[in-house]
Amino acid sequence: MCHPIRTFIEEQFLIEFGDDFPEDTDLFRSGVMDSFGYVRLCRFLEQTYQFKFTEEEMTSNILVSLTRMEQFVAKKVSRGVAASG
Amino acid sequence: MCGIAGFFELPQHPGEHSATVRRMLSAIAHRGPDSTGYYVDDRCAFGTTRLSIIDINSGAQPLSDETGRYWICYNGEVYNYLELRVELEAKGRVFQTRSDTEVVLQAWIHWGEACLRKFNGGYAFAIYDRAAAELILVRDRFGKRPLFYTTGGPGFAFASEMKAFFALPDFHFEQDVDQVQSILAQWTPLPHQSGFRHIRNLPMGCWMRVTVGRVEERPYEALTLEPSFEVASEAGALDLIRERLAASVALRLRSDVEVGVYLSGGVDSAIVALLTCDRAQGRVRTFSVEFDDAKLDESEEQRLMAEYLGTQHLGVRVGHGDIATHFPAAIFHAEIPAFRSAFVPMYLLAESTRQAGIKVVLSGEGADEAFLGYDLYKETILRAEWNTSSEHVRRSRLAQLYPHLDHYQPQDIAAITGLYHQFAEEKIPGLFSHELRLQNGRFSARLVRSQDGPFRALQEMVRATDGYAGLTAVRKAQWLEYKTLLAGYLLSTQGERMTMAHGVENRCPFLDPAVVDAACAVNLRFDDGFTEKRLLRQAFRERLPGAIVNKRKFPYRAPDGAAFAAAPPDYLELLLSEAELSQIPYLDSRFARSLTKKVLANGASGTSTKENQTFIFLLSLALLHRMFVKREGMLRRRVHSPVERVIDLRGGALYGSQGNFASVT
Repeated sequence: MCHPIRTFIEEQFLIEFGDDFPEDTDLFRSGVMDSFGYVRLCRFLEQTYQFKFTEEEMTSNILVSLTRMEQFVAKKVSRGVAASG
Repeated sequence: MCGIAGFFELPQHPGEHSATVRRMLSAIAHRGPDSTGYYVDDRCAFGTTRLSIIDINSGAQPLSDETGRYWICYNGEVYNYLELRVELEAKGRVFQTRSDTEVVLQAWIHWGEACLRKFNGGYAFAIYDRAAAELILVRDRFGKRPLFYTTGGPGFAFASEMKAFFALPDFHFEQDVDQVQSILAQWTPLPHQSGFRHIRNLPMGCWMRVTVGRVEERPYEALTLEPSFEVASEAGALDLIRERLAASVALRLRSDVEVGVYLSGGVDSAIVALLTCDRAQGRVRTFSVEFDDAKLDESEEQRLMAEYLGTQHLGVRVGHGDIATHFPAAIFHAEIPAFRSAFVPMYLLAESTRQAGIKVVLSGEGADEAFLGYDLYKETILRAEWNTSSEHVRRSRLAQLYPHLDHYQPQDIAAITGLYHQFAEEKIPGLFSHELRLQNGRFSARLVRSQDGPFRALQEMVRATDGYAGLTAVRKAQWLEYKTLLAGYLLSTQGERMTMAHGVENRCPFLDPAVVDAACAVNLRFDDGFTEKRLLRQAFRERLPGAIVNKRKFPYRAPDGAAFAAAPPDYLELLLSEAELSQIPYLDSRFARSLTKKVLANGASGTSTKENQTFIFLLSLALLHRMFVKREGMLRRRVHSPVERVIDLRGGALYGSQGNFASVT
């Protein structure tokens, strides 16, 4: 099964999700993500899932874990599909 | 400027003392190629490898008072020694030489500990009191000159550089996992950290007394950043800056040998060069690092400034291959894990400077700390006011930060805004200003397998500092910069250790206490701090080319991972081989190898700042492990410093006697 976000994070930040590093780990607090990595991740999500973060999403709902990112993207994509359908 | 080393109550037969201290001094002979001298008795031995700068003919060390009770070995300069000498002579002290060394000794004898606050300079020295059987060690207030000492073992040893401890019987280097983790996380060592077990760095502004069975370390001057006086107007502030900097440069031009200037291309070193030319008798010589990589190169501004002042200029061009070739030798001299490769070009610059016949240079270090030159200070102000600022103010101020970083460009400003939301309130007590930076550190700390609070030592240090909690956010940032990046990297790994590898002394006019005091009085008094070093620039605007005085802060950087990716040197095997990595017991070898492969594969464009710095940390840790712990592949420059003076008082000679004084040439 393809998990593009998970794969991106694992490759970019040299980690492996699993029992020792659960998907809901705060990537900032655990030292995995910095400002440069966060900006790259935002760009990756927009390009891969063809959406744009709104100003409010960008500034008030920072995506600190894989779990939150996947939930956010799923919601965003389904809204996009609904809007276009 | 020199190197000093010695020991006290070392558990060996006194008959071996002489050979041991000679080996210690030989290991740091690059610091003082002009001559070597040492003192030895049954209890204590210490000496100096001397780089002769002041009183070349009669300033040989060790030097004693007229009774032979006190002996001194001294590294560095107390620039205001002439004024102190006049003061001491007025109190009846008699001098035998013209040297600042003798002024320091007489000042200690006359005033005791109180003399230390009178000294203006960069120095580390040892004074042995034969009558009291006590050894005094002192280090300057900003940590310009190094002084390490051994802990926990039988006997006590000290040296300007840790490599002198190779000469001690039964001494073994061992990397200290807790310290390594701390260094990785905060980018640089804390003032007391050396990276090795059983070795402590005497913190800046401290002195110590070593007697039989007792070692005491005490501060003599705290770093004060609160304004000590009022400045009424901006015009007054500009006059103050000009006067104090001119006086500081004048003091630092006291030398019996020619003084050159390092020109970086920025405004700080330009001011230093300008003020040097104001006072110099002949044509001043300037020196710069130039890079093949245009993104890093500042040669245009360097040459502009050299032409403007009419200096005799030498640019040392550095390419990727030079970084990779000279990294091991430079890190051997640095001795501390490094997070950037930018110290390697400074190693090459010092070599060329010395080959050009220059022993002393002035440089601009310390200006960004004193006059709020770093974006870190603006970032701190912005984050501290984030929750009470309008969206417009936030965006416009964010747009002024870190222009050299791609992810701070306009297209990503919304993402950065979101990030700053997360860093608007203090999460790590006492370290608000540095929390974004420490985020990179957390990544580097992953090199250590089992992490245990990488910021604990840093937090303990600020918690234990009187007055720190009451400082403003910006002053806390300044305080941390003075205690970590400045002393732990800029003045040491990138500064003093590189110049002294080739017998060149570096002097920093912006580290004069009167200059720092003036900066504290004027900072944020007449502006909001968002034009970095505005008053400093304004003070010299009419005397410098516009391209220099208006140039934004351009961080001095060198190619990091890219230098090694372009043409991997043989020693990278240390990072690519599981067998090699497994010899460093604390290392997360899996992470280390993944990182190395990624950095080598991606080159400059695909490697982030934190990956670059973690890679350089890893490489330096592996090389230091090989050279210091395993004692393999040491890239020591063999320097012969002729023994000129030996004071041998073994066998119980009284201090009134000169014992078996031997002057060897």
